[in-house]
Amino acid sequence: MTPIFRKSAVNALLEADLQLTRGSFTLDLRMALAPGEVLALLGPNGSGKSTVLELLAGLATPASGTVTLDGAILTEPGRVRPPETRAIGLLGQEPLLFPHLSARNNIAFALRVGAARLNAVQARTQADRWLDRVGLTGLGRSLPGALSGGQQQRVALARALAAGPRVLLLDEPMAALDAETAPLMRQLIREQLATTGTSAIIVTHDIVDAVVLADRVAVLHDGVLIDEGTTAAVLAAPRNPFVAALAGVNLVVGTVHNGVILAPDGRTFAVRPADVAALGATAPAVSPGTQVSAAQVSAAKAFAGDVSAVPAASPRLPVAATSGDRPAAAVFRPASVVVQTEQPRHASPRNVWSARVTGIEPGSGGVRLRTSGDPEIIAELTPAAVADLGLQLGSTVWLSVKATEVSAYSR
Amino acid sequence: MIPRLLYIPASIGLALLVVPLAGLLLRVNWAGLPTLLLSKEALEPLALSLATAFIATLLCLLFGVPLAVVIARSTPRVAGVLRALVTIPLVLPPLVGGIALLSLLGRTGVLGEYLELVGLRVPFTTTAVVIAQTFVAMPFLVIAVEGALRTAGTRFERVAATLGAHRATIFARITLPLVLPGLLAGTVLSFARALGEFGATALFAGNQAGVTRTMPLAIYTAFNGSGVTTDQAVALSLLLIAVAVIILVLVGTRRGSVLS
Repeated sequence: MTPIFRKSAVNALLEADLQLTRGSFTLDLRMALAPGEVLALLGPNGSGKSTVLELLAGLATPASGTVTLDGAILTEPGRVRPPETRAIGLLGQEPLLFPHLSARNNIAFALRVGAARLNAVQARTQADRWLDRVGLTGLGRSLPGALSGGQQQRVALARALAAGPRVLLLDEPMAALDAETAPLMRQLIREQLATTGTSAIIVTHDIVDAVVLADRVAVLHDGVLIDEGTTAAVLAAPRNPFVAALAGVNLVVGTVHNGVILAPDGRTFAVRPADVAALGATAPAVSPGTQVSAAQVSAAKAFAGDVSAVPAASPRLPVAATSGDRPAAAVFRPASVVVQTEQPRHASPRNVWSARVTGIEPGSGGVRLRTSGDPEIIAELTPAAVADLGLQLGSTVWLSVKATEVSAYSR
Repeated sequence: MIPRLLYIPASIGLALLVVPLAGLLLRVNWAGLPTLLLSKEALEPLALSLATAFIATLLCLLFGVPLAVVIARSTPRVAGVLRALVTIPLVLPPLVGGIALLSLLGRTGVLGEYLELVGLRVPFTTTAVVIAQTFVAMPFLVIAVEGALRTAGTRFERVAATLGAHRATIFARITLPLVLPGLLAGTVLSFARALGEFGATALFAGNQAGVTRTMPLAIYTAFNGSGVTTDQAVALSLLLIAVAVIILVLVGTRRGSVLS
């Protein structure tokens, strides 16, 4: 298969052209990372994602190929510069904090040996600042064993960034965290990558990581990049079963508008109350001059308290995105989408809209119904329901999804 | 959850290890003990034993730790060969070790011949005692440290490298602290082994009072020698046991279970 790759930047920060064979596995990859860019490397287990990171970090040797950072050659045939001279950091699933060093000293270690080369006193002071930044003020003296998994991963993130890497490689950094801790960690990574302006490659098979963290997505399959582009573009037209499975969720990439998410075609999506609060309440400096208006916050509050106050989404009343709206994404499962042939009567807490059926396909959980719109929304039904409703290509249907089924992420 | 039957052989095993020592205690001539222990025949070998065992342990650390690191980080094939070579002195009767050392460093030995030419004579000196002790004790250190290194793995070292730490820094600040329990256990075992070394010392270093007569040789001499009662041998044994117990207790209380 021909690898698909478009050079995204004229002056790439990191460029890699790598070939490797391990048993029956063959890797053949060309990729580039622009300065300040965050790239998500998606792919099923065994597709070679972690191997790519090892090759970039200098922890493995390719059969052939090169890796350059800012024009300097890190890897070339017969010569691999060792990890300690590459300025490429790595944060994996496991925090791997040095067990004999306190949280503070783990970070201080990176400040002493990393790009900063601080002395012991400076390193300790700076380490405390890093602990503040990752929300662990006062826990500096704790040994890793005394910290929770989430706290350890926060320290590991601080340590990785404190070393001052030119590129940070993230290998499924949320995979070992529980469902409550993972979103907080994801948000923290997003904030800290933005604050430090660190370029990063994140390996993941969670679509949410790509949506929240990455500017661009590359899909790796059997050691070859088979797709590459913006998250929405890649997921809109799945090129292989893995991407299709990832795309198995409905992903609406849009902006936050009055506490709901505004799709490109003007549909609005009300989301889980907890997520609305998060979208409205935390206003990190994503872009200068961006602020949540009082009206937005009050709308969010009104929504959180009284769901009926939110108008049902309607494609016929498009809402224009304003410059103050912040980018966000709504994610919900196809099985959460209710399909009816008539307009629902009862104004329940739902997003309701009408659409045309553009595709009827077998899916993992029954029949997948593709419906018109930008983005297209997929509903999953039982074959019996499809027959009962008499659905065909071109049928007009009313779709609804409960706000409580829709998760929202700021981007 | 263990089968109850196991308690029977377990008890016998424990008894086999402990009862003889209890028997020894019963034979001690407590009244004459202070005199025996404060005699030159007891103190001189004790001082020599402690000094030589201390130096031998230092040598074990100096050469054994790097050797353990090399083995632990070698490919499985090379590591297997190296580990077998290191283990040989451990399974060898110490007497054979003594003969081996003699054939290398003895006056007519492979290397000893040349040393003789430049006026260096190793056998039957205190140096020979230290060499013999190092020979028998180093495998304990290497195996303990190598095991600890293997358990610790290379994950932390790899992380340290991606943070920008150079090899020497990683070794000093990450690797060594991580294997500290194993290192301590290995050191204690080596010291104990050096302290108790008899066979190789007897052949290679001889039994000269004040020069090569360490505690074990003093005990042997007292037990076999003419004109000396077995009381002396028992008293010296007691002293050696006491030293060993003190070391184990000191290290054990400082570091949980050192020998685990």
